[in-house]
Amino acid sequence: MASTEPEHEHREDEEAAANEDEDTGAQVAPIVKLEEVAVSTGEENEEAILELKAKLYRFDKNGKQWKERGAGTVKFLKHKESNKVRLVMRQSKTLKICANHLVISTMSVQEHAGNEKSCVWHATDFADGELKDELFCIRFASIENCKTFMEKFQEVAESQSTKEEDQETSAAAGLLDKLTVEEKKTEDEAGDDAPVASEEEIESDSEKLEKKNEEPASSS
Amino acid sequence: MALPNQQTVDYPSFKLVIVGDGGTGKTTFVKRHLTGEFEKKYEPTIGVEVHPLDFFTNCGKIRFYCWDTAGQEKFGGLRDGYYIHGQCAIIMFDVTARLTYKNVPTWHRDLCRVCENIPIVLCGNKVDVRNRQVKAKQVTFHRKKNLQYYEISAKSNYNFEKPFLYLARKLAGDPALHFVESPALAPPEVQIDLAAQQQHEAELVAAASQPLPDDDDDAFE
Repeated sequence: MASTEPEHEHREDEEAAANEDEDTGAQVAPIVKLEEVAVSTGEENEEAILELKAKLYRFDKNGKQWKERGAGTVKFLKHKESNKVRLVMRQSKTLKICANHLVISTMSVQEHAGNEKSCVWHATDFADGELKDELFCIRFASIENCKTFMEKFQEVAESQSTKEEDQETSAAAGLLDKLTVEEKKTEDEAGDDAPVASEEEIESDSEKLEKKNEEPASSS
Repeated sequence: MALPNQQTVDYPSFKLVIVGDGGTGKTTFVKRHLTGEFEKKYEPTIGVEVHPLDFFTNCGKIRFYCWDTAGQEKFGGLRDGYYIHGQCAIIMFDVTARLTYKNVPTWHRDLCRVCENIPIVLCGNKVDVRNRQVKAKQVTFHRKKNLQYYEISAKSNYNFEKPFLYLARKLAGDPALHFVESPALAPPEVQIDLAAQQQHEAELVAAASQPLPDDDDDAFE
């Protein structure tokens, strides 16, 4: 049985590695007939804006400990139309999903105590096809990769924030900073039209956003 | 508990029987595939535990019902009663414990009395451990009995997909069958209120101070 996978580097006898994929099994009659099907990754309309090898852990709240979730490739995927960004990670070899969640403005990624190669965040994850609150920790092979990941994560979360404020005017209640901004706005409108600092920030943020959204059809 | 030959899904499913001495890593191997975690603590399996395990292939989704049986004799339960209607099997031994390899012929004999002509994979687990008692070249049983053999490590994930891939290829009679990316469905939008967000942040702070279970600098594949 030919394998297209690269040889593993592994601690073991050389002769084992040599005949690893030799089929010594008996000839048995197949019990199902399977037809080739069209494969969909679900990522067809997205572009990977970052891709790194990593190991993912989830926090077991009952046992109060981190547990491995998978080792493979973590990606930030940006949707070509909506510009929404999600984090998707797949287990290597089986290609199963171990994390799949949107990166939204309320998220922040933080350092993991005592380890510069790992960081932590909270997400409402959809890896198993149902929404679950998860605390994730991810570990990279280098400090550099961890830094790159954290910067991209933060950048994406911040870019989502102004977008959401633009889009949703009704449902967004609850975020304190937003509330204060809106209060200030109201005050301003009541008084004279001299802009306050917070409003300026919002404006410059949305300008930035408009520059990012190059496709005109993207904003609703 | 899943019944023999149950078809609760609309895609092909197979009953996979996993046997071998106690402590060789059958449950840890299954759990690794189910959740990703590596369980270090040894808790013997009582009787049998049945877990559905799905894989995505270029020929669609398939499911193995993994019958993870007790290795320890005193917890054996129905023993070969669990093998009935088994469609494929894994016999596991521990390369760091010679006796577990010596017992492989017994597991094989008992299995073949119940299940005739099913594809079987012999797995030598724990190959990540430096001091092996059973070297690769000493493993010869599979050649005598026409089994497939893989050296695996549930700890390092070395070859951990190979037993399932081999069995799927044999069951479908398709040597070109391979695993493909499972579809990453679009996650629904979630509204997070301030109270929930504060709670998550507090939990995150507590979790961030906990060390990782394998905080070493191993490379990633």
